[in-house]
Amino acid sequence: MTERRPSLDELVGEDVTPAERERLLRVHELLLEAGPPPELPVEAPIPLRPQRRRGALIAIAAALAVSVFAVGVVVGDRSGAGDADFVVAMSGTAAASEASASLAVFDIDEAGNWPMEFSVEGLTPTPSGRPYELWLTKDGKLVALCGGFLTNPDGSAVVPMNAPYDFTDFDGWVVVEEGSTAPLLTT
Amino acid sequence: MDGSEPSDGQLIERIADGDSRAFDELHRRYARSVLGLALRRLGDRGRAEDATQEAFVAIWRSARTFDAVRGRGAPWLYAVARNAITDGYRRTPSPVSELEDGPGSDPDPSDEAEASWTAWRVHRALEVLPEHERPVIELAYWSGLSQSEIALKLGIPLGTVKTRTRSALARLADALEEELR
Repeated sequence: MTERRPSLDELVGEDVTPAERERLLRVHELLLEAGPPPELPVEAPIPLRPQRRRGALIAIAAALAVSVFAVGVVVGDRSGAGDADFVVAMSGTAAASEASASLAVFDIDEAGNWPMEFSVEGLTPTPSGRPYELWLTKDGKLVALCGGFLTNPDGSAVVPMNAPYDFTDFDGWVVVEEGSTAPLLTT
Repeated sequence: MDGSEPSDGQLIERIADGDSRAFDELHRRYARSVLGLALRRLGDRGRAEDATQEAFVAIWRSARTFDAVRGRGAPWLYAVARNAITDGYRRTPSPVSELEDGPGSDPDPSDEAEASWTAWRVHRALEVLPEHERPVIELAYWSGLSQSEIALKLGIPLGTVKTRTRSALARLADALEEELR
């Protein structure tokens, strides 16, 4: 990319209404701000897997509900989270007492990933602007990251995530601010 | 954007039903946006290409969590791709941590997030341009050529360059205001 910035007047001329010029100016500024799109590599096949694989995995979810996350886990879809296999309820700690969340976990795919949908309310954006993170925990320690997210000004967010982990290796989930280990929501 | 084309949200819903053609179309629309986001986050081209693959796999797997009532397709895709890219980084961090954003010279995280989202939308919108319009935008904005130089390079009259440029900008404005808002 060169240092020369194009002039909108040069590009579109003067024969344009003020309203249209304003609209094109916004695009002009966005193009300059965005910079050039990257060149794509030679096409490589993306390994896609079937969308659904139920069956014995329900049993895994049930086992998790009983033995791993005994508190806050509901087997089956009782939260309106579509066809989730199980839903984990989370509540705010003293640092975020107004916050609550649910994590809908869908049936695992052939590669061993658990698609999830995380829904949170009452968790206002961090003053630092940093995102929040959802982690799997073991013995009170953050062990495996499930994903990061930002919340709306009203504290809500609905975020798809994915966990390529064996849940039996963990004993809970927590939400923290990125870079922090202090729990804001826990199971 | 051509009104006869399915929206991003419609494509995601079809992907949720296992429609690989819908996935191919979504990949065509967003490949540059996802790769651009990965490059911005990771810096390294090879790792960014790997992360892009992982992001599209995540889109395929997560498609059934998309709910059109809750919002448009572009923000959902952005969230899925960003999480996949970040997860990939956390699993295999490089010796030099590009994602560290401590105090000092690094940009404010919220500014960086806003810039990433802007680039995502703009790069996606560029995919709506016809093949004869896209070069005039790229040469004007990212090669630094004047309109006369573009005419010379493409071998077309100056008036045609101006017509195509204005048409392309209007088309981008439509895309950014409507489908990708």
